[in-house]
Amino acid sequence: MTWTIVVGIKQVPDADEVGIDPDTGRLDRASAPAVMNGPDRHALEAALTIRDAVDGEVIAMTMGPPNATSILEEAVAMGCDDAVLISDRAFAGSDTWPTSLTLARAAAELGADVVVAGEETTDSSTGQVPPGIAAHNGWAQLTYAEAVDPRPEEGRLVARRDVEGGYELVAAELPVVVAVAFGEFDPRPAPLHRKIYGENDFEPTVWDAEDLGIEDEVGLDVSPTSVGRMETVDPVERKNEVVDDVDDLAEAITEVTA
Amino acid sequence: MTDDGPAIDPGEYEDVWVFVEEHDGDVMPVSWELLAEAERLTEQTGDDLVALAIGEDLADVAEEAIARGADRVLVADDPVFEPYRADPYGEQFRAMVEERKPSIVLIGGTHTGRDFAGRVAVPAHAGLTADVTEIDVDDEGILQARRPAFGGDILATILCEEHRPQMATIRPGVFEAAEPDPDRTDGEVVEVDVVVDDAISEVLERSVGDTADITEADRIVAVGHGVEGDLEPARELAEALDAELAASRAAVDEGWIDGARQVGQTGKTVRPELYVAVGISGAIQHVEGMNKSETVVAINTDPNAPIFDHADYGIVGDLFEVCPALADRLGDEPIQEVVQ
Ligand SMILES: Cc1cc2nc3c(=O)[nH]c(=O)nc-3n(C[C@H](O)[C@H](O)[C@H](O)COP(=O)(O)OP(=O)(O)OC[C@H]3O[C@@H](n4cnc5c(N)ncnc54)[C@H](O)[C@@H]3O)c2cc1C
Repeated sequence: MTWTIVVGIKQVPDADEVGIDPDTGRLDRASAPAVMNGPDRHALEAALTIRDAVDGEVIAMTMGPPNATSILEEAVAMGCDDAVLISDRAFAGSDTWPTSLTLARAAAELGADVVVAGEETTDSSTGQVPPGIAAHNGWAQLTYAEAVDPRPEEGRLVARRDVEGGYELVAAELPVVVAVAFGEFDPRPAPLHRKIYGENDFEPTVWDAEDLGIEDEVGLDVSPTSVGRMETVDPVERKNEVVDDVDDLAEAITEVTA
Repeated sequence: MTDDGPAIDPGEYEDVWVFVEEHDGDVMPVSWELLAEAERLTEQTGDDLVALAIGEDLADVAEEAIARGADRVLVADDPVFEPYRADPYGEQFRAMVEERKPSIVLIGGTHTGRDFAGRVAVPAHAGLTADVTEIDVDDEGILQARRPAFGGDILATILCEEHRPQMATIRPGVFEAAEPDPDRTDGEVVEVDVVVDDAISEVLERSVGDTADITEADRIVAVGHGVEGDLEPARELAEALDAELAASRAAVDEGWIDGARQVGQTGKTVRPELYVAVGISGAIQHVEGMNKSETVVAINTDPNAPIFDHADYGIVGDLFEVCPALADRLGDEPIQEVVQ
């Protein structure tokens, strides 16, 4: 049996570049360049690692605006066999419920045996989408995975999960959604010829909500949560005193602890 | 299996539930933190405070939940729940939510809590807010779940007005647990029907050792990638200060220190009187977990490290020299007596 490994990736504003609009006090995401969510690179590496161990193919999928194609090109350059862009204005305002529904439908449509995703995104950091995909499809899930061990002969995938104070080894039946712990899989560099292919020749498959049969189940209206207020929090006032020698530092600390 | 039907009647939903996360009889401290905070909400809304425990042999856990303020404890007691797996837990929790219709459900933002919260929220079409650091409830019983965005510069209030339950995972360490009151025994323990008999996952091995609770520490020495695997200088400093060791995620990922000691967005929130950051750059995800500290001290070779913007006192220097020297000075000071 060959495995279809689908890896979910997302385009996010570069976290280091996001500023706050001084007039509105709101996040100025527009000014930040759009990049691939950092943890998703680790997910890509994990997906390719699984493919290296079993017979199969890796398909990258993203839900996002048309220009999110660029991260799919990067994924293909890294070694993904194919990629799907799921794009539709109908998705606007979707919270994690319809988002995970969309990705769940796409994964099922692609015939996924394994869905790999990053632990969370740097822009919304909910970590809810991978378990949401699994829940929508009634599939098994392995989150905070630090290592993966595909066992095609058992029809299962084993992962070492990071848990508070230790780890656990969990085996899950296929299909399974794996959310990869950030920092555990060193992303491989993309070879030049793949980069050229990704940028020049590759075209992703494009799906909209109707293609997935979910046009009435996505967007703001069906999202159970909504954003109420956004408040800017005053940064914590710090003294910002840089001292020159250890004695001064010791003195400052003693004052605090006394 | 999903419910795409018309919006529900929020009036049918009542009570505040707190998930009591236990592994092998040990309860995660965040559960008791949430129980105390949820009690504050129920005082406002008049709801019952309900704890729920899923696992095996939970009599002691149920008793403690009552001693810590629960009006009622729902107990799903069965070997199928030990150790934790997302699918049986999620299925059981969902059945309980469907049958008993809670208005608010709070879950600790541990790896376990964040793993299975979605297993309930998705089939129930509930609103689920992640990684919350402040909660309140308005006059209509709408949960105001606040969470930091982008390094804590923004606090977003997430609402769930037309769906129930209103669920949130809450970061460990942000609330204070109440002391158990052994005289408080009048809570009700309800054994619920176990609806699960099968699982699509299997725990092959589980190894959990030190689950240090850095959120209780008055003083913390935290190590980052800059220590390069050598914790000794920081340990020496921690000893001189009678402080707990903690770490950035980079140090945890390298395996130099246990994940239970990670500070930050995906770790714990700490608020000690003194936080010494040793070889930590000060990434936003780290600062989010430590910026409630009273006094922050940074030791870093890079004068441009962002940690200095978040520190009261900083020294530009090599930690391998600064830490031992500092430990030496502090060890000589009368500080040791003050610590007692
Ligand atoms: C989704 C997500 C969640 C995250 N959650 C967390 C989290 O909860 N907590 C967290 O901490 N991070 C988190 N991170 C990671 C975070 O972005 C940073 O990568 C991490 O905090 C960096 O750790 P560090 O400062 O120890 O390492 P580095 O950034 O590598 O910094 C090391 C520092 O040590 C200094 N140094 C080196 N040698 C010496 C020396 N000899 N003496 C003194 N100083 C020295 C360097 O100048 C540098 O400033 C998260 C990231 C993502 C994407």
